[in-house]
Amino acid sequence: MLERGKIDSKQAVFLMIALVLPTAVLTVPSVVAKLASQDAWLSVIVATLVGLLIARLVVSLSLRFPGKTLFEYAEEILGRVPGKVVGLLYIWWFLHTNAFILDEFGAFLGITILPDTPFLVFFIAGTFVAAYAVRSGLEVLVRYNQLFLPLILGLLCVIFILSAKDMKVARLLPVLDTGLVPILKGAAVPVSWLGENVTFAMIIPFLNRPKEAYRVAARAVLITGFFLLVSVLVSLAVFGPNLTRAWIFPAYNAVRVVSIANFLERLEAAVVAVWMLGGFAKIGVFYYAAVLGSAQLLGLKNYRPLVAPVGVILVALALLCENTVVLFDFLGRVFPPYALVFELGIPLVLLIVALAGGKGGKKS
Amino acid sequence: MIKKISVLLILIFLTGPLGGCWDRKELPELAIVLGTGVDRTADGRIRLTVQIARPSAFVAAGGGGGGGGDVPAGLVVWAEGETIEDAEMHLETKVPREVYWGHNMILVIGEEMAREGTRMVTNFFHRNRQPRETIWLMVAKGEAKDFLESHSALEKTSAQAASFLARMKLGYSVSSREFDEMLASKGVQPVATRVEVKRAGTTLGPGREKQPSNQKQVELTGVAVFREDKLIGWLDEHETRGLLWLKGEARRGIIAVVPSPGEPEKEVSIKIRRAKTKIVPQYDGERLLFNVVIEAEGDMLEQQSRKDLAKPGKIKALEGAMAEEIQKRAAISLKKAQRGYGVDIFGFGDAFHRKYKKEWRKLKNRWDREFARAEVNISVKTHIRTTGLLTRQPYLPEE
Repeated sequence: MLERGKIDSKQAVFLMIALVLPTAVLTVPSVVAKLASQDAWLSVIVATLVGLLIARLVVSLSLRFPGKTLFEYAEEILGRVPGKVVGLLYIWWFLHTNAFILDEFGAFLGITILPDTPFLVFFIAGTFVAAYAVRSGLEVLVRYNQLFLPLILGLLCVIFILSAKDMKVARLLPVLDTGLVPILKGAAVPVSWLGENVTFAMIIPFLNRPKEAYRVAARAVLITGFFLLVSVLVSLAVFGPNLTRAWIFPAYNAVRVVSIANFLERLEAAVVAVWMLGGFAKIGVFYYAAVLGSAQLLGLKNYRPLVAPVGVILVALALLCENTVVLFDFLGRVFPPYALVFELGIPLVLLIVALAGGKGGKKS
Repeated sequence: MIKKISVLLILIFLTGPLGGCWDRKELPELAIVLGTGVDRTADGRIRLTVQIARPSAFVAAGGGGGGGGDVPAGLVVWAEGETIEDAEMHLETKVPREVYWGHNMILVIGEEMAREGTRMVTNFFHRNRQPRETIWLMVAKGEAKDFLESHSALEKTSAQAASFLARMKLGYSVSSREFDEMLASKGVQPVATRVEVKRAGTTLGPGREKQPSNQKQVELTGVAVFREDKLIGWLDEHETRGLLWLKGEARRGIIAVVPSPGEPEKEVSIKIRRAKTKIVPQYDGERLLFNVVIEAEGDMLEQQSRKDLAKPGKIKALEGAMAEEIQKRAAISLKKAQRGYGVDIFGFGDAFHRKYKKEWRKLKNRWDREFARAEVNISVKTHIRTTGLLTRQPYLPEE
């Protein structure tokens, strides 16, 4: 066993929320509004439903192979070589996705509060701290998250409530303006984000009550979906669809608009705090998944020697992104189909093959 | 042991940079912009004018040690460039501090610049992280520079005076994000506050009795009307009142002056406390009709007539006169927008879009033409709550 830590169900819910929400809450509204205009919030609801299905798929697959991660049961299902190939693909995906998370992390800080700092500094600082957490084991990451996620969610609630004064419901109307197609198109982006929950497959073996995994996953997806929904609704109600899609981080701008009695204003630092605290947890989980997966693929007894090299690769990958235009174009256009291969495609194939071959233990 | 020592060394080393002090910006190192003006120069360049606060003047006012009032509260600097950013760079060569936009309250666009288009002005203010989305957008009759160079006797600077005036929302005031939202929608054309520099009232003080007042001060005098991002005309203060009614932005503080029942030459003032506007479009593929329902509630606060108006019947009559007055005001603005400028500044198109989403797709690209020939019914429901502290004129002999 590479990881000796155990986490309880509540911690797992928190971890899964941190796996998706921190970056999504700021970038999703703009990307979805580009496709679905004022119906973007409907896209998020559709996406949450699909996210529930993906989570269910991942959990059913994992529960067939108790105590095993994605990398281990992929080999068991497909055989040694194809299993290793799938493992390699997943390592690439974890790293690549994480590199984009780092890019978003750097882009946000660079645009909003630290314009003079090179992105490399954000990448190295973020990766370095995450590396320390990953090296210390899953439990450390989970405890960190347990401490700060409630703070993050609380801050989000407060700042969204405060912007109520500037909202107008009329900006959300008319509903279903251009029919269902744009809504479904718009849903692809949040689906790919919520689908990042596939990383949960690396965590399920370490749950102290694996039977609750279904409930954990469902709860996490619903909470994440709810906060995404609120973020989209707030952005739309404050700016309307045309301005929402023009901003890169509409939720951030919505908070900048808050001014109550000309006194309670300039609260955007709270959003930056959410981004820093949550972004770190998110980077940490993907980092952990990549490191643990690599160790299992290589059959190592200890994953620690891999932390530093994986971190270096991560920073290098993050540096490949040329600018924010490329970044957000990728996230809106390329990422959904690309990610869905890993979030839905491969797990589905694995499950079908496992069912057909009668592999895996009794269905729990 | 070595590990402990190295950890300790790292910690000691980190205490230096962690404070972030190498990059600190103290207040006295900043030139805080309070108001910005953008003009088009004769040779087609952009002139950026900023009003910069002089912090010491703001501190002295609190001290009460006297003399604070004589310290100039700000200075006005301008520079030209190809773009706003370019002009800002030239500006920074004149200001020995770092220009800080975070407290900019107003953006005044000169008339010439506004006629050419606001898009090339506002982009800078949204793309940069310092200026805020909530700054008031105004259009100066004449040059924005003259506006910023004017003085306010009551506030420290004219930028503050103008932004406080805008915040009171007695006229129509619009923040830059609301302006851009109107600009982005096909169902409404933007309007912005019009500002002018006018002769100020007299400043009082010992030794000033005999000095003639030649001070200038800022005034909000209606709105500027746009087609897309280009200024095409103005509404004066009276027409602006109608705009507020139709846009549903009539807020507390507006006065309706109506003729006294039975005595048309005597006036009654009614102060509006709250108001609501509903625009209900009706479309059968041919005829475009808008039913505008305005509901207003107010208090009667002044009468010129000698009669006792505090009677149920008279109040009813006053409510009727009030409705008529509001209806008239709204109709004047409407006519000016439909016939005079041919632009939908009230957001009828947005209301139409909300109700007829399919038809909107056909009409949206020629909306202003459709709007100009649309039929509009304005109906007003009014309600008078109180007559202030008085019932009738008290200083009349009993009859």
